[in-house]
Amino acid sequence: MLFSSIPFLYYFLPAVMLCYFAVPKKLKNAVLFVFSLVFYAWGEPVYVFLMAASITFAWGFALLMEKAKTQKIKKIFMIVSVCISFAFLCYFKYADFFISNFNAATGLSVPLLRIALPVGISFYTFQIASYTIDIYRGDAKAKRNIVDFGTYVVLFPQLIAGPIVRYVDIAEQLEHREHSLEKAAYGIQRFCIGLGKKVLFANAFGELCSIFRESSEQTVLFYWMYAAAFMLQIYFDFSGYSDMAIGLGRIFGFTFLENFDFPYISKSITEFWRRWHMSLGSWFRDYVYIPLGGNRVSTPRWLFNIFVVWFLTGFWHGADWQFIAWGLFYGTLLVIEKIWLKKWLDKAPSFVSHIYVLFFTAIGFVIFNSVSIGGALEDLKGMFGLSDIPLSGTETLYYLKSYGLMFIAGSLLATPVIKNVLKKINATSLGGKIIAFAKPIGFAAVLIIVTGYLVDGSFNPFLYFRF
Amino acid sequence: MKKKTEYIYTVVLVAVIIFGLFAWAVLKPMDDFSESERRPLEKFPELSVKTILNGDFMENFEDYTNDQFPLRDGFRSVKALAQYYLFGLSDNNDLYYTEGQIAKLDFPLDEKSLEYAKDRFTELYETYMDGKVNKVVFSVVPDKGFYLGAANGYPVMDHAAMEKYFEENLGFAEYVKISGLLDKNDYYAADTHWRQQDITEAADALLSALDARPFENLEETLATDKFHGVYYGQSALPLPAEEIIYLHNPELDSMTVMNFETGKETGVYDFDKLESKDPYEFYLSGAAALLEVNNPSAESDRHLIIFRDSFGSSIAPLLMRDYAKITIVDTRYIAPAMLGDYVDFEDADVLMLYSSLILNDSYIFKK
Repeated sequence: MLFSSIPFLYYFLPAVMLCYFAVPKKLKNAVLFVFSLVFYAWGEPVYVFLMAASITFAWGFALLMEKAKTQKIKKIFMIVSVCISFAFLCYFKYADFFISNFNAATGLSVPLLRIALPVGISFYTFQIASYTIDIYRGDAKAKRNIVDFGTYVVLFPQLIAGPIVRYVDIAEQLEHREHSLEKAAYGIQRFCIGLGKKVLFANAFGELCSIFRESSEQTVLFYWMYAAAFMLQIYFDFSGYSDMAIGLGRIFGFTFLENFDFPYISKSITEFWRRWHMSLGSWFRDYVYIPLGGNRVSTPRWLFNIFVVWFLTGFWHGADWQFIAWGLFYGTLLVIEKIWLKKWLDKAPSFVSHIYVLFFTAIGFVIFNSVSIGGALEDLKGMFGLSDIPLSGTETLYYLKSYGLMFIAGSLLATPVIKNVLKKINATSLGGKIIAFAKPIGFAAVLIIVTGYLVDGSFNPFLYFRF
Repeated sequence: MKKKTEYIYTVVLVAVIIFGLFAWAVLKPMDDFSESERRPLEKFPELSVKTILNGDFMENFEDYTNDQFPLRDGFRSVKALAQYYLFGLSDNNDLYYTEGQIAKLDFPLDEKSLEYAKDRFTELYETYMDGKVNKVVFSVVPDKGFYLGAANGYPVMDHAAMEKYFEENLGFAEYVKISGLLDKNDYYAADTHWRQQDITEAADALLSALDARPFENLEETLATDKFHGVYYGQSALPLPAEEIIYLHNPELDSMTVMNFETGKETGVYDFDKLESKDPYEFYLSGAAALLEVNNPSAESDRHLIIFRDSFGSSIAPLLMRDYAKITIVDTRYIAPAMLGDYVDFEDADVLMLYSSLILNDSYIFKK
C-alpha cells in the first residue's frame, strides 16, 4: 500500500489509529503487527508468507544464539541466520541477474526465473540482518516475544522504503514508549511535509521525466532538464517517504533516525553521502566497511574496502550493471576526494564545491535511472551534445517554461533556505504567533491539495519500492 | 499561542479532515456515474480469497475509493487550480487553459498515423468509389489548439504539414482547405468541437467544391444553455456552462434520419440528447456507424456520402440542401467491408471530413 493513496490516508490510517489508541498498552504492538501485515499483504498478498518465514527464522536463530554455549556455535547460528535472510534476497532479487550474465558469458540459455520482486525485501532483509548481528555482538538482547520482534520488522511506517531502522535504536521503544500530544502534532506535521514532497513535487518531476522519455524531441537542454528533474524527483520521493515514515513513527511513539539532511547543499561527495540515505550508509559502514577493517589497514586494502562497500551499495539498489556502475562511480569519486580532491575543495569557493557536487550527482543519477549501461552512455552523450542533437526545441522550451516555477520551488525546498527563514520569523514575537496560527492551516491545506491529486488519479509511482 | 494549544490545533484540524472524510467515505451511498467526466464510476470490488490472493481486490479497491471519494469533483478542481495557479504548470492532464478556452496538447505530428489514415481512405476509394462516384472532396478540421496554442506558447502539431500530406497523397480527392475560414472563437470553450453557428463559411467552402448550394434562410435557435463540454470534466476547472445553438429552417426540420444500427428514426436535431451525458450528441444523435438522411425538399435526387467523425455531426446539416439523400458513415464504428451492403456509391458525391485530432491518432479506423 502506498502512503500517498486514498486507501491508506482515508481508510487504513484512521482504522489503525482508532484501534491503536483504543487498546491498552500491552496490546499496542499486536495492533501494529497485525495492521502492518495487512499493509504489506495489501501490495504483496503472497509474499507476506515469505516475510513471515524471514521473521520466524531470524527470531528463532537469535534465541538459539543466546542459548549457544560457545562463541563458535553462536557464530554458526549468526551466519546461518544471515545467510537465510540473504538467500531470500538473492533468490528473489538477484537470481535473474546472475543467470542472464551466466548465459551471456557461457552462451548457454538457462531460463530466467522471472520472479516478481517482493516489495521492501532489501529494506527488511537489512533490518533483520542488523538484528541478528547485533544479537551476535551482544549489542542487544534477543526478543522472546515474536510479536514484538515481528513488529520491529514489519512496522508499516518504515517497512517498504526505510529508513533502515536498526534494532538497537528502537529495542527499548518496542517495549516502552511514550505517546503525547506533542509527538502526535510533530508526527502529523512531518507526515504532511513528506506527503507534500512526494505527491506535489516528486510526482510532478517524475512526470517530466516520463514526458522526456516518451518525447520524440531530443535536445541537449531537454537532457539536462531531465537530469535535474530526476535529481529532484528522487530526492523528494525518497526523503518524502522518510519524512512520512518518521512522522508516522512519532505518532505511534517511535523515534526513527533521520535519513536525509539536505544532501544537495553538500560541498563534496563525501558530505553528500553523509546527508543522503543516511541509514543505508551507516548500515554499510557498521556491518561491512568496519568489519573489513575500515581505514585502519594498508592503502590498497583500504581502497579495496571502499570499492566493496560501493559495489554493494550499487548492487543493493538494483540487480543490473548500471546500478553497480553507479555505485562504483561514487566509490571512485570518494577515493579521489579522500586522496587528493577534498583538500582542494575545502579551499575552493563555496559555489565551485556546490557546482562540483551537483554536476556529479546529476551524472550519477542519470546512470542510476538508465535502463542499461548502454542507455546510460546514450543519456550522457545527449547531455554533452555528442549525439548530433540540437541544443533546444519547441517542446523543450515549452516544458522549461511550464516547469520553471516547479524547478525554482523544488530547488529552494531541497535546501534549508525556507526552513531557516521560517525559523527566523518564528523567533520574533509577532512572527511566532503568525506561524503558530498558520502552520496547522498550512498542513491541512497540503493534505487537501494532496487529496485532490490522489483523487484525480495522478502519476504516483514510488521509486524506492523497487529496491 | 501556547505550544500546547498549537499541538491541539494541529491534531484536531488534521484529524477532522482524515476521520471526517473516512466516515463520509464509508457512509456515503455509491454513485453510479460521473456527470462531469462522462463515465461510470467504479463499484465496490468483488471480495473473495481468489481476488485477494491475485491482488485484484486491492487494485480495484483503490480505483473504487478514488471514484467514490466524497466531494470528488471539488477535490479534482482543487488539484487543477493548484496545478495551474500554485505550481504554475502550463497544463493539467494534457489540457491547457488560455484565453478563456481549454485545449488539448496534441503534438507532434504522427506520420505513421497519417499514413495509416491515408491507406484506409485509399482502400475505401479503390473498393467502392473508383469509377462510380462523381467526385470526392477531402478536408481536415483543425483542432482548436491550432489557433490557441501557437499564439500562447503551447506546442502544436504541424497542421499545415498535415494538410499538405493529404493534399499530396489522396490524389483521387479534391482537397479543401478550411483552416483559414475558422478561428479560436468558432469552438466551444470547454469542448473539443466547433460551434455550428460559426462554421457556415467552412460549410460553404465544402459545398462549393461539391458544386452544391448552401441554405439561405437558416435561423439560429438556442437548444440549451447548460452545455458542459468534454474538456470541462477532464480539466476539472470551474467554468460556466455554454450555449448550444442550432441552425435550422423548415427544410431541415422536415428531414428524417435513419440510424441503421438502432433502427430508430429521428430528426436532424435530437432534442432527447440535450439531457444526455453529452449534449453535443444533439446534432445527428451523436456517434453512429451509419446514418441515412432523407431530404423531402430536395430539388434533385443527388446523393451525398459523408465519411466523418464527430465534427461532421454539426456541419452535415448545413450541407444537405441540394441532396435528396445523405449517407453518413463513421468507419471508427463500421468495418469498410460491410459498407457495400448498405451504401450505393453510384453517382454519389463523397465528402471525407475528419478532425486533425482523429487523423493524428487514426488507428481507431477499422480496416
